[in-house]
Amino acid sequence: MKEAKSAKSSKQSKEQTQDDHVSHLRSSKFFDPDASWDKDELGDVLHWIRQIMGIIFGVLWGAIPVVGGLWILMFLAITSGIIYYYYAMILKIDEEDFGGHKALLGEGLFTSFTLFLLSWILVYSLAHF
Amino acid sequence: MASMFSSSKFSDSLTVVGVSLCSAVICEAISWILIYRTSSYKSLRSSIDKASRKLESMKTTTDSLKLTTKKSKTKKMDRVETSLKESSRDLFFFKFKSGAVVAIVLIVVFGLLNSLFEGKPVAKLPFTPIWIVKSMSHRGLQGSDLTDCSMAFLYFLCSISIRTNLQKFLGFAPPRGAANPGLFPMPDQKTS
Repeated sequence: MKEAKSAKSSKQSKEQTQDDHVSHLRSSKFFDPDASWDKDELGDVLHWIRQIMGIIFGVLWGAIPVVGGLWILMFLAITSGIIYYYYAMILKIDEEDFGGHKALLGEGLFTSFTLFLLSWILVYSLAHF
Repeated sequence: MASMFSSSKFSDSLTVVGVSLCSAVICEAISWILIYRTSSYKSLRSSIDKASRKLESMKTTTDSLKLTTKKSKTKKMDRVETSLKESSRDLFFFKFKSGAVVAIVLIVVFGLLNSLFEGKPVAKLPFTPIWIVKSMSHRGLQGSDLTDCSMAFLYFLCSISIRTNLQKFLGFAPPRGAANPGLFPMPDQKTS
Protein backbone atom coordinates (compact mmCIF):
# COMPACT_ATOMS: atom_id res chain seq x y z
CA MET A 1 0.00 0.00 0.00
CA LYS A 2 2.76 2.44 1.07
CA GLU A 3 4.89 1.36 -1.95
CA ALA A 4 1.94 1.93 -4.33
CA LYS A 5 1.41 5.42 -2.84
CA SER A 6 5.08 6.38 -3.15
CA ALA A 7 5.23 5.01 -6.73
CA LYS A 8 2.15 7.07 -7.60
CA SER A 9 3.57 10.27 -6.05
CA SER A 10 6.93 9.83 -7.80
CA LYS A 11 5.08 9.24 -11.09
CA GLN A 12 3.05 12.41 -10.47
CA SER A 13 6.18 14.45 -9.69
CA LYS A 14 7.85 13.09 -12.87
CA GLU A 15 4.79 14.10 -14.91
CA GLN A 16 4.80 17.54 -13.24
CA THR A 17 8.49 17.98 -14.16
CA GLN A 18 7.75 16.95 -17.73
CA ASP A 19 4.79 19.40 -17.90
CA ASP A 20 7.00 22.23 -16.56
CA HIS A 21 9.67 21.33 -19.09
CA VAL A 22 7.17 21.28 -21.97
CA SER A 23 5.58 24.60 -20.97
CA HIS A 24 9.05 26.15 -20.61
CA LEU A 25 9.97 24.84 -24.04
CA ARG A 26 6.74 26.19 -25.52
CA SER A 27 7.25 29.65 -24.04
CA SER A 28 10.97 29.80 -24.95
CA LYS A 29 10.25 28.92 -28.62
CA PHE A 30 8.58 32.32 -29.00
CA PHE A 31 11.92 34.03 -28.42
CA ASP A 32 14.29 31.43 -29.86
CA PRO A 33 15.84 32.37 -33.24
CA ASP A 34 16.93 28.75 -33.75
CA ALA A 35 13.44 27.30 -33.33
CA SER A 36 11.79 25.83 -36.41
CA TRP A 37 8.37 27.17 -37.33
CA ASP A 38 5.52 25.69 -39.28
CA LYS A 39 3.75 28.20 -41.58
CA ASP A 40 0.41 27.72 -39.81
CA GLU A 41 2.02 27.90 -36.38
CA LEU A 42 3.79 31.18 -37.09
CA GLY A 43 0.67 32.60 -38.73
CA ASP A 44 -1.40 31.81 -35.65
CA VAL A 45 1.15 33.37 -33.29
CA LEU A 46 1.34 36.56 -35.35
CA HIS A 47 -2.47 36.65 -35.55
CA TRP A 48 -2.90 36.52 -31.76
CA ILE A 49 -0.11 39.02 -31.12
CA ARG A 50 -1.95 41.44 -33.43
CA GLN A 51 -5.27 40.87 -31.63
CA ILE A 52 -3.72 41.51 -28.20
CA MET A 53 -2.07 44.69 -29.51
CA GLY A 54 -5.40 45.77 -31.02
CA ILE A 55 -7.10 45.54 -27.62
CA ILE A 56 -4.21 47.18 -25.73
CA PHE A 57 -3.89 50.14 -28.08
CA GLY A 58 -7.66 50.54 -28.36
CA VAL A 59 -8.08 50.69 -24.58
CA LEU A 60 -5.06 53.00 -24.26
CA TRP A 61 -6.14 55.39 -27.02
CA GLY A 62 -9.67 55.47 -25.56
CA ALA A 63 -8.56 56.00 -21.96
CA ILE A 64 -6.12 58.90 -22.58
CA PRO A 65 -8.14 59.86 -24.86
CA VAL A 66 -6.64 60.58 -28.24
CA VAL A 67 -8.80 61.72 -31.14
CA GLY A 68 -8.32 61.94 -34.87
CA GLY A 69 -7.66 59.67 -37.81
CA LEU A 70 -3.91 60.14 -37.38
CA TRP A 71 -4.02 57.77 -34.41
CA ILE A 72 -5.39 55.03 -36.65
CA LEU A 73 -2.30 55.38 -38.86
CA MET A 74 -0.13 55.43 -35.71
CA PHE A 75 -1.71 52.17 -34.57
CA LEU A 76 -1.13 50.51 -37.96
CA ALA A 77 2.46 51.73 -38.14
CA ILE A 78 3.38 50.78 -34.56
CA THR A 79 1.79 47.33 -34.62
CA SER A 80 3.23 46.47 -38.03
CA GLY A 81 6.63 47.62 -36.77
CA ILE A 82 6.35 45.39 -33.71
CA ILE A 83 5.30 42.38 -35.80
CA TYR A 84 8.15 42.98 -38.26
CA TYR A 85 10.66 43.36 -35.39
CA TYR A 86 9.39 40.15 -33.82
CA TYR A 87 9.67 37.87 -36.85
CA ALA A 88 12.69 39.53 -38.49
CA MET A 89 14.88 40.43 -35.47
CA ILE A 90 13.81 38.11 -32.65
CA LEU A 91 12.80 34.96 -34.52
CA LYS A 92 15.12 35.76 -37.47
CA ILE A 93 12.65 34.20 -39.90
CA ASP A 94 13.39 34.07 -43.63
CA GLU A 95 10.19 35.66 -44.90
CA GLU A 96 10.53 33.92 -48.30
CA ASP A 97 9.80 30.59 -46.59
CA PHE A 98 6.53 31.97 -45.23
CA GLY A 99 5.06 33.80 -48.19
CA GLY A 100 6.97 37.08 -47.94
CA HIS A 101 6.57 40.23 -45.82
CA LYS A 102 3.07 40.83 -47.20
CA ALA A 103 1.77 37.49 -45.89
CA LEU A 104 3.43 37.83 -42.49
CA LEU A 105 2.48 41.46 -41.92
CA GLY A 106 -1.05 40.81 -43.18
CA GLU A 107 -1.71 37.94 -40.80
CA GLY A 108 -4.71 38.95 -38.69
CA LEU A 109 -4.36 42.61 -39.74
CA PHE A 110 -7.98 43.40 -40.64
CA THR A 111 -9.42 41.56 -37.63
CA SER A 112 -7.03 43.32 -35.25
CA PHE A 113 -7.90 46.65 -36.87
CA THR A 114 -11.63 46.12 -36.24
CA LEU A 115 -10.87 44.96 -32.68
CA PHE A 116 -8.75 48.08 -32.15
CA LEU A 117 -11.54 50.35 -33.45
CA LEU A 118 -14.11 48.57 -31.30
CA SER A 119 -11.98 48.88 -28.13
CA TRP A 120 -11.10 52.51 -28.85
CA ILE A 121 -14.70 53.53 -29.57
CA LEU A 122 -16.11 51.68 -26.54
CA VAL A 123 -13.59 52.99 -24.00
CA TYR A 124 -13.76 56.52 -25.44
CA SER A 125 -17.58 56.57 -25.38
CA LEU A 126 -18.03 54.97 -21.98
CA ALA A 127 -15.24 56.72 -20.10
CA HIS A 128 -15.59 60.28 -21.43
CA PHE A 129 -19.33 60.81 -21.99
CA MET B 1 -16.40 51.05 -12.49
CA ALA B 2 -19.40 48.96 -13.60
CA SER B 3 -21.80 51.65 -12.33
CA MET B 4 -19.78 54.29 -14.20
CA PHE B 5 -20.21 52.38 -17.47
CA SER B 6 -23.91 51.66 -16.90
CA SER B 7 -24.63 55.34 -16.18
CA SER B 8 -22.72 56.48 -19.27
CA LYS B 9 -24.65 58.20 -22.04
CA PHE B 10 -23.58 55.44 -24.39
CA SER B 11 -24.16 52.38 -22.24
CA ASP B 12 -26.30 50.96 -25.08
CA SER B 13 -23.01 50.13 -26.81
CA LEU B 14 -22.47 47.41 -24.20
CA THR B 15 -25.85 45.94 -25.13
CA VAL B 16 -24.81 45.84 -28.79
CA VAL B 17 -21.50 44.15 -27.91
CA GLY B 18 -23.23 41.67 -25.59
CA VAL B 19 -25.82 40.72 -28.22
CA SER B 20 -23.06 40.38 -30.86
CA LEU B 21 -21.09 38.10 -28.59
CA CYS B 22 -24.10 35.90 -27.87
CA SER B 23 -25.08 35.73 -31.54
CA ALA B 24 -21.49 34.83 -32.50
CA VAL B 25 -21.53 31.94 -30.00
CA ILE B 26 -24.93 30.76 -31.27
CA CYS B 27 -23.80 30.99 -34.92
CA GLU B 28 -20.67 28.97 -34.22
CA ALA B 29 -22.74 26.39 -32.35
CA ILE B 30 -25.09 26.11 -35.36
CA SER B 31 -22.09 25.90 -37.71
CA TRP B 32 -20.58 23.16 -35.59
CA ILE B 33 -23.82 21.15 -35.69
CA LEU B 34 -24.41 21.62 -39.43
CA ILE B 35 -20.87 21.83 -40.81
CA TYR B 36 -17.83 21.23 -38.64
CA ARG B 37 -18.74 17.94 -37.00
CA THR B 38 -19.73 16.26 -40.32
CA SER B 39 -17.37 13.72 -41.87
CA SER B 40 -17.61 15.49 -45.27
CA TYR B 41 -16.19 18.71 -43.81
CA LYS B 42 -13.44 16.87 -41.93
CA SER B 43 -12.33 14.94 -45.01
CA LEU B 44 -12.42 18.06 -47.23
CA ARG B 45 -10.41 20.02 -44.69
CA SER B 46 -7.90 17.21 -44.33
CA SER B 47 -7.44 16.91 -48.11
CA ILE B 48 -6.94 20.69 -48.43
CA ASP B 49 -4.33 20.70 -45.66
CA LYS B 50 -2.47 17.75 -47.20
CA ALA B 51 -2.57 19.21 -50.72
CA SER B 52 -1.36 22.64 -49.61
CA ARG B 53 1.50 21.11 -47.57
CA LYS B 54 2.46 18.92 -50.54
CA LEU B 55 2.38 21.91 -52.87
CA GLU B 56 4.55 23.96 -50.48
CA SER B 57 7.20 21.22 -50.24
CA MET B 58 7.16 20.67 -54.03
CA LYS B 59 7.63 24.40 -54.64
CA THR B 60 10.69 24.53 -52.37
CA THR B 61 12.37 21.50 -53.99
CA THR B 62 11.60 22.41 -57.66
CA ASP B 63 14.20 25.20 -57.90
CA SER B 64 17.17 22.92 -57.39
CA LEU B 65 16.21 20.29 -60.03
CA LYS B 66 17.45 19.69 -63.60
CA LEU B 67 15.30 20.92 -66.51
CA THR B 68 13.72 17.55 -67.48
CA THR B 69 12.93 16.65 -63.87
CA LYS B 70 11.65 20.19 -63.36
CA LYS B 71 9.09 19.80 -66.20
CA SER B 72 7.60 16.60 -64.78
CA LYS B 73 7.63 18.12 -61.30
CA THR B 74 5.78 21.19 -62.60
CA LYS B 75 3.13 18.94 -64.17
CA LYS B 76 2.73 17.15 -60.85
CA MET B 77 2.44 20.51 -59.07
CA ASP B 78 -0.29 21.58 -61.51
CA ARG B 79 -2.23 18.41 -60.72
CA VAL B 80 -1.92 18.99 -56.96
CA GLU B 81 -2.91 22.64 -57.42
CA THR B 82 -5.99 21.64 -59.44
CA SER B 83 -6.97 19.11 -56.79
CA LEU B 84 -6.50 21.81 -54.11
CA LYS B 85 -8.73 24.23 -56.04
CA GLU B 86 -11.42 21.58 -56.48
CA SER B 87 -11.38 20.69 -52.78
CA SER B 88 -11.53 24.40 -51.87
CA ARG B 89 -14.50 24.86 -54.22
CA ASP B 90 -16.29 21.84 -52.71
CA LEU B 91 -15.64 23.17 -49.20
CA PHE B 92 -16.97 26.60 -50.19
CA PHE B 93 -20.23 25.20 -51.57
CA PHE B 94 -20.61 22.81 -48.64
CA LYS B 95 -20.32 25.67 -46.15
CA PHE B 96 -22.46 27.96 -48.33
CA LYS B 97 -25.50 25.68 -48.13
CA SER B 98 -25.32 25.29 -44.36
CA GLY B 99 -24.33 28.93 -43.89
CA ALA B 100 -27.83 30.03 -44.99
CA VAL B 101 -29.15 29.12 -41.53
CA VAL B 102 -26.42 31.21 -39.88
CA ALA B 103 -27.24 34.09 -42.21
CA ILE B 104 -30.92 33.97 -41.14
CA VAL B 105 -29.90 34.16 -37.46
CA LEU B 106 -27.65 37.14 -38.15
CA ILE B 107 -30.38 38.94 -40.11
CA VAL B 108 -32.88 38.39 -37.28
CA VAL B 109 -30.38 39.68 -34.69
CA PHE B 110 -29.56 42.72 -36.80
CA GLY B 111 -33.27 43.43 -37.29
CA LEU B 112 -33.85 43.18 -33.53
CA LEU B 113 -31.00 45.57 -32.73
CA ASN B 114 -32.15 47.93 -35.49
CA SER B 115 -35.64 48.11 -34.01
CA LEU B 116 -34.19 48.83 -30.56
CA PHE B 117 -31.64 51.48 -31.55
CA GLU B 118 -32.87 53.00 -34.80
CA GLY B 119 -32.14 56.73 -34.99
CA LYS B 120 -30.18 56.65 -31.72
CA PRO B 121 -26.39 56.99 -31.47
CA VAL B 122 -24.96 54.14 -29.39
CA ALA B 123 -21.36 55.41 -29.22
CA LYS B 124 -19.10 58.32 -30.04
CA LEU B 125 -16.38 57.99 -32.64
CA PRO B 126 -12.97 59.40 -31.63
CA PHE B 127 -12.35 60.33 -35.25
CA THR B 128 -14.29 61.81 -38.17
CA PRO B 129 -15.12 58.94 -40.53
CA ILE B 130 -14.21 59.08 -44.22
CA TRP B 131 -16.99 58.98 -46.82
CA ILE B 132 -16.88 55.20 -47.26
CA VAL B 133 -17.42 54.60 -43.55
CA LYS B 134 -19.78 57.53 -43.01
CA SER B 135 -22.76 55.88 -44.70
CA MET B 136 -22.61 53.01 -42.21
CA SER B 137 -21.43 54.89 -39.11
CA HIS B 138 -24.12 57.60 -39.44
CA ARG B 139 -26.85 55.28 -40.76
CA GLY B 140 -30.33 56.40 -39.67
CA LEU B 141 -29.03 59.14 -37.37
CA GLN B 142 -30.31 62.69 -37.30
CA GLY B 143 -28.05 65.72 -37.15
CA SER B 144 -24.78 66.59 -38.81
CA ASP B 145 -22.38 65.39 -36.11
CA LEU B 146 -20.49 62.68 -37.98
CA THR B 147 -18.84 61.40 -34.81
CA ASP B 148 -22.17 59.96 -33.64
CA CYS B 149 -21.96 56.20 -34.13
CA SER B 150 -24.96 54.14 -35.22
CA MET B 151 -25.71 50.60 -34.11
CA ALA B 152 -24.95 49.27 -37.62
CA PHE B 153 -21.29 50.32 -37.56
CA LEU B 154 -20.70 49.06 -34.02
CA TYR B 155 -22.41 45.78 -34.86
CA PHE B 156 -20.26 45.46 -37.98
CA LEU B 157 -17.07 45.92 -35.92
CA CYS B 158 -18.30 43.44 -33.31
CA SER B 159 -19.22 40.85 -35.95
CA ILE B 160 -15.86 40.94 -37.69
CA SER B 161 -13.66 41.08 -34.59
CA ILE B 162 -15.58 38.77 -32.25
CA ARG B 163 -16.72 36.14 -34.74
CA THR B 164 -13.39 35.82 -36.57
CA ASN B 165 -11.44 35.45 -33.34
CA LEU B 166 -13.97 33.01 -31.93
CA GLN B 167 -13.67 30.85 -35.05
CA LYS B 168 -9.90 31.01 -34.80
CA PHE B 169 -9.94 30.15 -31.11
CA LEU B 170 -12.25 27.17 -31.61
CA GLY B 171 -10.26 25.94 -34.62
CA PHE B 172 -13.07 26.55 -37.12
CA ALA B 173 -11.19 29.13 -39.20
CA PRO B 174 -10.86 28.16 -42.88
CA PRO B 175 -7.53 26.46 -43.74
CA ARG B 176 -4.85 28.82 -45.07
CA GLY B 177 -4.29 26.71 -48.18
CA ALA B 178 -7.92 27.01 -49.31
CA ALA B 179 -8.45 29.73 -51.91
CA ASN B 180 -11.92 31.27 -52.07
CA PRO B 181 -13.30 30.34 -55.51
CA GLY B 182 -16.26 32.76 -55.24
CA LEU B 183 -19.78 32.15 -56.52
CA PHE B 184 -18.64 31.99 -60.17
CA PRO B 185 -15.41 29.99 -60.26
CA MET B 186 -13.40 30.34 -63.50
CA PRO B 187 -12.30 27.13 -65.25
CA ASP B 188 -8.69 26.18 -64.69
CA GLN B 189 -6.77 27.31 -67.79
CA LYS B 190 -3.97 24.81 -67.24
CA THR B 191 -6.27 21.76 -67.60
CA SER B 192 -8.63 23.15 -70.32
